[in-house]
Amino acid sequence: MNKIFSAIAILSLTLMTGCSGSDEADTVKVGLLHSLTGSMAISEKSVRDAEVLAIEEINATGGILGQQIEYIEEDGASDPSTFATKAEKLIDSENVATVFGCWTSSSRKAVKSIFEDYGALLWYPVQYEGMEASENIIYTGAAPNQQIIPAIEYLLDQGYEDFFLLGSDYVFPRTANMIIEAQLSDAGLDIVGAEYADMDQTDFSAIISKIELADPDVIINTLNGTGNVSFFKQMSERNYTADDYMTMSFSIAEEEVATIGPQILTDHLVSWNYYQTTDSIENENFVNSYKSMFGEDRVTSDPAEAAYCAVYLWKAAVEKAGSFEVEDVLNAIASSDISFNAPEGLVTINKDNQHLAKPVRIGQIREDGLIYEVFSTSAPVDPDPYLNNYDWAKDIQSFQ
Amino acid sequence: MKYKVENISFATLALILAIIPLLLELNLLAGGSTVIFIGKCMSYAIVAIGIDLIWGYTGILSLGHGLYFGLGAYGMAMYLKLVSTGGQITDFMHIGGLEELPFIWTLFKYLPNTLFFMIAIPALVAFLVGYVIFKNRVKGVYFSIISQALTWAVYSIFISLSPYTNGNVGITGIKSLFGSVKGDANRANMYLLFYVTLGILILTYVIAKFLTQRKFGKILIAIRDGENRTYFSGYNVCLYKTFIYVLSAIITAFAGAIFVNFNGSITPSEMTIEFSIMMVIWVAVGGRGTIIGAVLGAFIINIGQYNLSSGIFVEIWQYIIGAIFTLTILFFKGGLVGLISEQSPILIKKFQQKQEQKQEQEQKQEHKQTKQKSEQIIITKPKEV
Repeated sequence: MNKIFSAIAILSLTLMTGCSGSDEADTVKVGLLHSLTGSMAISEKSVRDAEVLAIEEINATGGILGQQIEYIEEDGASDPSTFATKAEKLIDSENVATVFGCWTSSSRKAVKSIFEDYGALLWYPVQYEGMEASENIIYTGAAPNQQIIPAIEYLLDQGYEDFFLLGSDYVFPRTANMIIEAQLSDAGLDIVGAEYADMDQTDFSAIISKIELADPDVIINTLNGTGNVSFFKQMSERNYTADDYMTMSFSIAEEEVATIGPQILTDHLVSWNYYQTTDSIENENFVNSYKSMFGEDRVTSDPAEAAYCAVYLWKAAVEKAGSFEVEDVLNAIASSDISFNAPEGLVTINKDNQHLAKPVRIGQIREDGLIYEVFSTSAPVDPDPYLNNYDWAKDIQSFQ
Repeated sequence: MKYKVENISFATLALILAIIPLLLELNLLAGGSTVIFIGKCMSYAIVAIGIDLIWGYTGILSLGHGLYFGLGAYGMAMYLKLVSTGGQITDFMHIGGLEELPFIWTLFKYLPNTLFFMIAIPALVAFLVGYVIFKNRVKGVYFSIISQALTWAVYSIFISLSPYTNGNVGITGIKSLFGSVKGDANRANMYLLFYVTLGILILTYVIAKFLTQRKFGKILIAIRDGENRTYFSGYNVCLYKTFIYVLSAIITAFAGAIFVNFNGSITPSEMTIEFSIMMVIWVAVGGRGTIIGAVLGAFIINIGQYNLSSGIFVEIWQYIIGAIFTLTILFFKGGLVGLISEQSPILIKKFQQKQEQKQEQEQKQEHKQTKQKSEQIIITKPKEV
């Protein structure tokens, strides 16, 4: 009994104190804030790994301004309030130079005001619904005009007319569909139906019946997470293929294809800025080092690539500023073109809205589980998070 | 004697909490964020007291207290959001197609109204739910299931009514009642909020102790240990249970409102079943039926999570926390407080015994030494001579 008692005493002691990192003069601390437990862990792990890869690469080639990068990991546990608590801990207690983190819009919104209040800097690596441009966040994923709008334009060019909107019930699908409806009505089209599924919904039979009734020729799919697995499996159980109902998805990347099953998804369309198959020397190196560091069976994806870019863009901005101070880094970003030869091609931080100018690629899924480009923009597309350059988006802008 | 020890422990804890801002001023803490985090822990401790009143004392196991935490938190968040928008409608209402402030939001436009509705709404919900359930003498696991189902239902409603609640993003970008508490420039606000919270924690503890040390508390325990006997002794069991359940809901709602002030945002993940079960675990680990156990449990589990879920433990911390729960449930039913109160008398006894033994041994040794010395003297003496 005494032994148990002392064991508990020791355990509680470690509990209370935690572990403190070492403070060395020639290192600079950065924070990695992702969900490593909970429902988002599967997705965010790949993003976290890409960030670690970039940090290790930079360290191996001499670091930034002669300093090695030391990363401090915090677990957001798939809970926005935990993200808020941990963001505060990283910024204020650990005094990190910058933070790379978040995936879901709810976690980003929960930490946004914290980064603003402390004057800290967050690099957010995932495509999202737009309508935001915080001075303390650099968005390295796609804005709607770099993913959603080009995808709809592509479908219109291909002659699709009857659009059905299917999404999970949260902010990204709702906003995305609002944009799509405005865009379609500008093209003189009406959607044939819209349905929202609960985040953890597994039974899609009612929704599939509605799709059959509406008889669309393309389904715009903004389902997220486990919903995709159930939806596509149940579609294939009814022997529907891309020939019957083509889908265009915004949340299915290489990782998700592997989970859902490539046979089920063959020939379906997706829209991103990067695929593992993207043809460039930078990408070849990125894919090779990602696989050699984390395993041959791992695949790279758009969010992982955007996270990889984020670390290198921060390096470029710090070197331009000659300082790790957030204010100096932000000044450097606001006053000069910070760019990086990324695996997806050249990306540049926009001085006004802190999103990236990046190429857009429409891809098609094949049997081997990889996504192949069927269309791409010739040059990087400038980010337009508030859709200021689209006349038909006036109603949406007035909401801001 | 037992109460005295508990009260002294709580007073010590309150004193430690009270000097935390001082530690920050002396640069002994990592930063202001630590104080804000401890503030959140205090709100959790208030919740734990609420849970202990119904579970530890009355035997009502609610697995859905996140509902009341959420209702209180959303009430406060709505007021704070309206402060930041100047009473205008918010961006998510625009996106949801609303033209003007919905009626439910107008209730939270001013602070006095907010404080009233923030308590009245959870209290009303708790009263309706509690009265109907307890009147029909539903108890045990059935009550737990109902409490879970209700929480899940409200959680789903909050997510689906996104024009009113902003769905799963929740209400973000708000400052505390006393203005921003983030950063060195706002330390005065932070301290004010911190001490107000400490005051509410102490007040909650005093109320809980006041109720449970009286005859009222004895009846609650009687209900826990033998509901039918209490019933047949002529007590209106339903009334007692409803009262304590509503009180617990009010305490929890208050804690939610405090949490929002520290956190700066509220999402439906604070009204999930998962979070509700977490609350019960705090009380279980700390030790139920003692109040101080609940408070300690809330602090220990949350501080543990805060420190463990980073650095080298980042991927295994949930296993560690899980192991602690399992060990507690298997071996220490009384939780931490039970462990200490069971073990400390034994330890003290052992210590006393050891001391006595030591003294005896020392005495013996002294005897021996003096004997030996005297012998030596006897032996050596002739040599000298």
